[in-house]
Amino acid sequence: MEKMNEKIQNIAKELLENKEVNLIIGFTKGSNPLRMRSVFITDPKDVSKLSFNSHCVQDLAVFLKKPEVKKFGKIGIVVKGCDEKAVNTLIQEYQLSRDNIKIIGLECHGVIKQNLADKGENSLNQSTVYDKCLACEVHTPTLYDYLVESDEQAFEINGNSIKPYAKIEELDLMSAEERNVFWQNEFEKCIKCYACRQVCPLCYCTRCIVEKNTPQWIETNIEETGNAQWNMIRAYHLSGRCIGCGECERACPVNIPLMLINEKMARDTFEKFGYKSGIDINAKPVFGTFDINDFNDFIK
Amino acid sequence: MENNNTEKNQNFSDNSNKGITAQNKEPRIIAFVCNWCTYNGADLAGTSRMKYADNVRVIKLPCTGRIDPLFVVEAFKKGAKGVLVSGCHPGDCHYTSGNYHSRRKYTAFRDLLSYLGVDISRVEFSWISASEGNKWVSVINDFTNKIKSLPNNSDIFSKK
Repeated sequence: MEKMNEKIQNIAKELLENKEVNLIIGFTKGSNPLRMRSVFITDPKDVSKLSFNSHCVQDLAVFLKKPEVKKFGKIGIVVKGCDEKAVNTLIQEYQLSRDNIKIIGLECHGVIKQNLADKGENSLNQSTVYDKCLACEVHTPTLYDYLVESDEQAFEINGNSIKPYAKIEELDLMSAEERNVFWQNEFEKCIKCYACRQVCPLCYCTRCIVEKNTPQWIETNIEETGNAQWNMIRAYHLSGRCIGCGECERACPVNIPLMLINEKMARDTFEKFGYKSGIDINAKPVFGTFDINDFNDFIK
Repeated sequence: MENNNTEKNQNFSDNSNKGITAQNKEPRIIAFVCNWCTYNGADLAGTSRMKYADNVRVIKLPCTGRIDPLFVVEAFKKGAKGVLVSGCHPGDCHYTSGNYHSRRKYTAFRDLLSYLGVDISRVEFSWISASEGNKWVSVINDFTNKIKSLPNNSDIFSKK
């Protein structure tokens, strides 16, 4: 990992010294050795703070939507493959200009679940990483200006023993009433803190639907109706856009399995429209366009 | 004759005063229709004096592309048993492509609703043009019968 850190630091230093960017967003060591945190660097002298390891769970692309970051103009960002898909989607949706961003892509084999890391877990294998890492198709980012290769070996996944997001198939086999009970129990826990929204790199509306109150579309109290509405509409607004970084689920204080919904919608969008989000910056967003021969079976 | 009429009127107002609740015997169906095709189709059915189930309440909007999935959820929340979304046939949209966009959106929305445990037969989508008064009648009658045959299950959007 030392080599990797050095490379990241050199790239960042060069970018800042040549004034190619005004700000570098990256990872740095947190107070706990098994926790990493984000760091914002404007001075080339500070680049030694930059670091990367398999505890860098955060999706730093979330900061690109913040006005206090946007005002820096040209920005450099350190991203893993999954986070980079968020950058792609932001460019696709005209939230970000390709000219204003320098992407320092990292080759990443997976990140360790934070709840395990807090208990001291430090090894990278198929039972310690997030489900998104097991399903990952972008260990190397699809788009980057600089690529930093990993100096660690990828861990091996043994065949059929572990299926990412296995619960989705289980839910698919249930009856509507059973699914209803499952989600009712999950949504009951929701405390409407909106952490899922705050941490999402693609939830960039300046005024979220939940804050619109003429009329009040979504009830703000924490009763079932409003909770179901909120979780449903959050997932709907992200369907065909969600890049599967899993930050919403990680941020959720009551552990609602939000990625089960996001991943299901991503699979459905791929099945029905052959579209995967965050792969191509020149593709049209799937719900911003249409095809005359679209899926028509359910319409009378 | 006059007496009969007033009696009918009273019955009608009594029903509407009860409001929309899931406990009502007669299920309430909300139809979100587009201004240019389906609304005129329904109008044609009316002016041709065709009879159809009176469970439906029509809400007119400019285009199916204007119908936010939240409208459907709101209808469920307020106690509707079924929701129909209906607009112009593909290629006939007054705004060129509103119905194509809504078709794509609703494909995803239906999947999401069903995944979250809402019985998908409670949501219906149809294309009805301004000249298809008879199709409107049959769609409404079929849908009403289907809704009546469903068990009285709760969904995640209704209050307990």
